Amino acid sequence: MVYVKWGFWAIFWTILVAFLHYTLPHTDIVRINDTYERRIEPGDNALFWANADTGDNRDSSGRDVFFIQTFRSDDTAVVYRNEDTGWSWPPYFKFNASNLQARASDSISDGKGADAEWVAIRHYGWRNEFLSIYPNAVGVWEVDGPDARIIPWLNIVILVSLGVVFWAVRARWKRFWHRREEWAQDEWNDGTN
Amino acid sequence: MPALFRLLFFGLIFLTIVYFALSWYFRSERRRRMERDWEEAGRPGNREAYVEAGMEQYEQSLRRKLVWLVYVVPLTAIVVIIYVTNYT
Repeated sequence: MVYVKWGFWAIFWTILVAFLHYTLPHTDIVRINDTYERRIEPGDNALFWANADTGDNRDSSGRDVFFIQTFRSDDTAVVYRNEDTGWSWPPYFKFNASNLQARASDSISDGKGADAEWVAIRHYGWRNEFLSIYPNAVGVWEVDGPDARIIPWLNIVILVSLGVVFWAVRARWKRFWHRREEWAQDEWNDGTN
Repeated sequence: MPALFRLLFFGLIFLTIVYFALSWYFRSERRRRMERDWEEAGRPGNREAYVEAGMEQYEQSLRRKLVWLVYVVPLTAIVVIIYVTNYT
């Protein structure tokens, strides 16, 4: 029985951490190599493609999606998609995919090494080659170099508030059951008085 | 557009549930405290009347009105996120 309990909580925490890791913003420092768009027909991986309803006709199954192709300072390739999230999940309320693509194209790095132009790309989501899924870029801005340091204030605030709410609910939950036990064992129904 | 209405519709339902749950919780906490106050004050007069007077004060207090933040905070957050994501 104790393994069932452990297993339950292990699965619960894994899902929660994975969910937060997918949804919260991360920032990478990269040099942009190319920007392009190509046609996407989401299938089994549709969960990992945005489902924004920002005025387009939704009857057609496929659509063109912007991509931003980049390299990190250690020359690993990272490819981002650039899609509106609109009013749906995750709540980035992003409507400016085209503008973002324009800025990304404007920041294409002319060279490698010392000539490279570096940008910070804020994004959420995961890259997975087996599922053909890409992180979604939500912001691009230029930085001084590959060592620029970005403090994730938003993530700190969100995680601390989540922790506070969780703690407050947990403390009240425990107190509630503790009181129930006290009521059950008072002198009126104890029978030993 | 349907996505916006979906968000508003389900969001308002969810926030209303939270609003009523929190109102109920804070009110019951307050009542519990008034009952304890009454005992600590040396049981002055009628218990019901004492507690009810305290609850009436609570209903008009700033503390009670702060529960509206349940609606205000998420709506403000949405406006701020829209601005930060799209215009900065």
